[in-house]
Amino acid sequence: MIEFQNVTYAHQKGNGVNNLSLTIEEGEFSFLIGPTGSGKTTLMRLIYFDLLPDAGWVKVNGFSSKKMTKRKIPKVRKFIGMVFQDYKLLYDRNLFENVALPLHVLGYSGREIPDRVEEALELVGLEGKDYHLPNELSGGEQQRACLARAIIKEPDILLADEPTGNLDPVASFELVRLLETIHETGTTILMASHNYNLIKGRGRPIYELKDGILRGR
Amino acid sequence: MNKFFYLTTEGIKNVWRHKMTAFTAIISLFIALFIVGLLATAGDNTHKVLQYFRSKYKIEVFFKQDVSNEEAVGLIHRIKTIKGVRTATIIEKEDAIRIFKDQFGEDIMDILGYNPLPVSAVVNLSRTSRDPIRVEPIIKEIRSIDRVEEVRYQGNLIKKIERNYRRIIDRFPYLAGVIIFVAVLIIYNTVKLSVYSRRELIRSLQIIGATNMFIKLPFIIEGFLIGLISSALVFPALLGSVKGINYIFTNFTSWGIRLTFDPVVWIWLFSLVVVITLIGSYRAASSFLK
Repeated sequence: MIEFQNVTYAHQKGNGVNNLSLTIEEGEFSFLIGPTGSGKTTLMRLIYFDLLPDAGWVKVNGFSSKKMTKRKIPKVRKFIGMVFQDYKLLYDRNLFENVALPLHVLGYSGREIPDRVEEALELVGLEGKDYHLPNELSGGEQQRACLARAIIKEPDILLADEPTGNLDPVASFELVRLLETIHETGTTILMASHNYNLIKGRGRPIYELKDGILRGR
Repeated sequence: MNKFFYLTTEGIKNVWRHKMTAFTAIISLFIALFIVGLLATAGDNTHKVLQYFRSKYKIEVFFKQDVSNEEAVGLIHRIKTIKGVRTATIIEKEDAIRIFKDQFGEDIMDILGYNPLPVSAVVNLSRTSRDPIRVEPIIKEIRSIDRVEEVRYQGNLIKKIERNYRRIIDRFPYLAGVIIFVAVLIIYNTVKLSVYSRRELIRSLQIIGATNMFIKLPFIIEGFLIGLISSALVFPALLGSVKGINYIFTNFTSWGIRLTFDPVVWIWLFSLVVVITLIGSYRAASSFLK
């Protein structure tokens, strides 16, 4: 499902990933761990083709970075859901509008959208908060809204880049549990974190990155 | 279809969400369009103002002393055939006495015992032509009639006015061009600012998998709406201005000029706005999404 082959990417200011090879199988729930600046976000961005490798190649759901074009990128992203540390919610729109956004991109009809949004909000425990603006919600709730937006299109792959970075331990734990629930539906999940205590002992593969180099599994 | 409906709604909502930016753009664009509309209306009414000036052109033709009233009628028919002449009215010897009496209060017959005033004619020039009328060839042709003694013409000042008026009118298209360019910049910058202020939305949409066209369309619709509202406001404003000017002309001058507002001017403006907003918005949105 996700394959990295000798991938190198260097940012102008340094960091990035170096000669990285990795395979994540379909339906796998794995963690990516490493300190800040270790290349976790770069790796994530390479998966959704926000960055293209300087060397090597990345293959996601059959799409290869070697043959990637600007036109193809939206197609790949349609089956990838993303959760970010800073939520990336739209603060001038309510929760309903935020969560419904991917469905509009996919061209769902206005009649189908409300039910699906309700379903997604219910799954993340935000039912009844449809018309709240993001800044009326707590950090944990905003992150769950972000998760609802990511899963509403039923993606094959869910990427969570430090989703617990701004959350307290309880909210962080709840979020991981929520991701595990989503994983049960068959979604491939890759979650980046620097909090080892949060992910240890879950029986999931853990990939460790340090200075852009994959240290082990 | 669902996407198009959603994006159109988003474009409309965006105008409301960013009311202040939209309001500023609408007002700026309105002013630009209003000026262009006024220039176009002025240009369209040029012939009416010229008609007014031309109505002041009067050529007085004095025939030789021995020309009788009957012979003068024939000569006047000849004058009427000259290109640019609208009417020619005979002033018979007897009429001349009356006019003299009206102007000087004396009966020349009582003073001299005979009528020394010749038969004359008042020649009016054509008013309807949109091109300036060249008076000199007309005068030259009248003078070439050998039974004509003298031609008097006081149109030099009017000719100067007409020439200067033309000179100004001829510059209108350039001025309009500059204003249209400014209007393009207004739309371009408004949309660009709007795009920049919503870079987070754009980023979110890109991450979700939206195509560039999906991202651009609401901005294009937003720009188009701003243009549409501005041009809708320009219509009554131009109509009102023309009516206002006519009111002033009618009540405070004796010029007798009545300007008209041709809706075609507005249709042109509207088409112009459509083109400006579509190009301006598309380019502004594209420049950010490169």
